[in-house]
This record gives sequence, structure tokens and C-alpha cells, in this order.
Amino acid sequence: MIKVENLHKSFGKLEVLKGISTSIKDGEVVAIIGPSGSGKSTFLRCINLLEAPTDGRILINGQDITDKSTNIMKVRQNVGMVFQHFHLFPHKTVLQNLTYAPVKVNGISKQEAEKIGLELLEKVGLSAKAHEYPNRLSGGQKQRVAIARALAMQPDVMLFDEPTSALDPEMVKEVLEVMKALAHTGMTMAIVTHEMGFAREVADRVLFLDGGVLVEDAAPKEFFSNPASDRARDFLQKML
Amino acid sequence: MNLDFQQFIPSLPYILKGIGVTLQIVSLAGILGFVLGIVLSFFKISRFKFLGWIADAYTSVFRGTPLVLQLMLIYYGSPQLIGYKIDPSTAAVLSFGLNSAAYISEIIRAGILAVDKGQSEAAMALGVPYRPAMMDIILPQAMKNILPALMNEFITLTKESAIVTVIGVTDVMRRAYIVGGEKFSYFEPILIAGLIYYIMVMILTLLGKGIERRMRRSD
Repeated sequence: MIKVENLHKSFGKLEVLKGISTSIKDGEVVAIIGPSGSGKSTFLRCINLLEAPTDGRILINGQDITDKSTNIMKVRQNVGMVFQHFHLFPHKTVLQNLTYAPVKVNGISKQEAEKIGLELLEKVGLSAKAHEYPNRLSGGQKQRVAIARALAMQPDVMLFDEPTSALDPEMVKEVLEVMKALAHTGMTMAIVTHEMGFAREVADRVLFLDGGVLVEDAAPKEFFSNPASDRARDFLQKML
Repeated sequence: MNLDFQQFIPSLPYILKGIGVTLQIVSLAGILGFVLGIVLSFFKISRFKFLGWIADAYTSVFRGTPLVLQLMLIYYGSPQLIGYKIDPSTAAVLSFGLNSAAYISEIIRAGILAVDKGQSEAAMALGVPYRPAMMDIILPQAMKNILPALMNEFITLTKESAIVTVIGVTDVMRRAYIVGGEKFSYFEPILIAGLIYYIMVMILTLLGKGIERRMRRSD
């Protein structure tokens, strides 16, 4: 359970998030959409403190992660993140990408980590690439590895920051399929995306951000067929 | 031009012995410079401005004065600095090490900053603390990029080590000079010394290329 209370974030004089409050229940899949510059990514990056909030609170399973005494590293071990540009470790093989953090941070044995890693690679359909270096993979394959890498830490929550925006169109689907399968396992997911079809089909809720404000928080059916605000209607007209 | 290498053949083993002296000074100074260079580069990217300021001042002084002056300062200054005279090769290792640390710290700093910011973010997002993220994720990638520049620095160090001659260390250069003095003919022994330095640098270059190839496996 993630609870966000009155979240503010400024970069210097620029206020990117202007007081956002919402919550994400366990097992819920939330799509975060909005025009570029609306603060979607910043909002997501605040949830694992890649950006430090200027004001407000974020509670994950009741723990206030914005509190100074909270161990940020411990929080991040339970919150997986997938980036737009993958950020795989280029000097490690695919399997080493998956085993590095579990061994280093969680302290599990190398054999155990490799077993989990290979299982995850099978789930994302990339068992054959275990010993390749990331540079030998296509964009879609890289992103599937990145998802598996985040899952290897066995997180409670997964954050996706525009996971398909850097992909060639023909590779978008393979990544969305993996995410859809993950959603069906009951993983709590927050996804910043421009894939409206995916949001409509997979998400339980849609958050629409504009200008650093949470404008709408609705079920996808409702949001896509009958948006409450003019801004959302404008946005959807441009997107669809 | 009449060159007579014949008369220097008996002196050849004496000159060649200098290779060991040169290599010892260069390798010890190289290690000192590399380790201190890494520490200084961490200072330079540190959140603590004070550390950055110290490292910048250090670099500025060691880059801003001649190496031969630093060598002489350490060698001739040691009685006043620490109370006794250190031997010339120690002075050489110290001055070369401290000097190349200044250059190496700049090379490594640039290498670290050139690694995509997403790499440290990915490590952070996995809950990896700063130190292992730096050692296992950032530095290996930085090292790969800076290897040519680093090799260049070691080559410079090898060649510049010839200035230990001025404080009397019997390295290749000094020995060639002594032999020249004995026979009243400097040209040939100095040519021989030049050839020795050139071969050492070529070996270093090949070594660097070999390491680079190994590190590029993941490309």
C-alpha cells in the first residue's frame, strides 16, 4: 500500500509537483498519464526517492519514506523500477545483471540468485540470452531484462517510467505482454505511459496529471469514455 | 658522421642494468599515483565541497610547477622537512607518484562523470549503496573509457623518469651519461638509451592495447 500525501517537488524555482495526494492499494495497477512536463515521471521517481520531495509525505506499507530516519536503501529494495532507457549494466552479462543486486544487497548465495535469475529470464522469454552482454540485445529484449532485473529483488511494488517510449514500434508489444502477465500475478504497479490502449486494458485506475496537479483519478473505462475535465478531454483527443 | 658502437659493447650490461632501476621507480610511482589519483578523484566528485577544494588545490600546484622542481624540492628539502636525507630513488618515487596522481585524478574524474547518470540511478533503484555501486558499476565502466588516457600517463611517466639523473639515481639515462663521460663520447650511449626507452614505451603500448581488447569484450 502506497499513500502519497500533499506531495510537492520543486527544481529550484520551478515547481513540478504542486501537492499530489493519492494512494495505491496492494495488487493495484495504476496508469499515470498526462502531457509531457506534467510531472508524471517526477511523481514516480519520488516514490523510490530518486527525487527527494520538497514537501509532503509518502508512506509505503505504513512507513514514512520521507522521514530522515528511514533507510532509503531498504525501501528501494522493495520497490523495483524500470526506466525508459533500460540502464542495464553494460559490462555485466544478462544473468549477472539479474544476480548482482540480490547477491550484493540481499546477501543471498550466487547459486540461489542464478536460479532465481534463470527462472525470471524464462518468464520474460530470454533464457537463451543469459550469458550475452546487453549490447547484443534488441531494445525490447533489453527492457524485458530490465524488468527481470527489478523482479530479481522480489519487490512488493514495481514502478515503470515510460517503459516503451524508447522502443521501436514492433518491440512495444513484447514488453507490454510481459507487463500484462506481471499485472495478472497481482503485483502492485505504477506505470507512467503513453500507451493508451494498454492503460485502458490493464490498469485498474488512471491518474491524469497536468501542470503538476492530479486532475483526474478514475477507472479507465470512465476516464477514456467520459473524462470529467476539459484538460483530460483535450489530451485524449490529441492522443487517440 | 662516424659512429663507433664497438667501443660501448663492454658497457652495454652496465647501461641495461639501469632498466631495472627505471622500472622500479616507474612502477612504484605508477601505483602510488593511481591509488592517490582515485582518492583525489573521489574528493573532486564528493558532496563535501571542502574535499573537492583540497583536491583541486593539489592538482593545481602539481600541474602548475615543473616536475624536475618537485623532484629537487623533495630530495634536497627532505633534511629540512623531515630531519634526514631520503635516498634519491625514494625521492623519485615520491615526486613522480605525487605528480602523476594530479593528472590521473583528472582523468578518472572525467571518466566517472562520463558514465551515464542512469547507471547510478539503476543501481540506486536496486537498493545498492553508494560504495558498491561506485566500485562495481561506475568505476569499471569509467576505467574502460579512460584506459587510453591512463596508458598515456604511464608512458609519460616512463619517459619523464629520465630526469632522476639530476639527483644522481643510476637509471638508464644516468648510466648512459656516465659511460659517455668515460669514453669522451656521448652520442652513441645516449642513442642506446633512447632505443631502450623507445622499446619500453612500445611494450607498454602493446600491454595497454591488450588490456583494452579484454575490456571491450562486452561491446
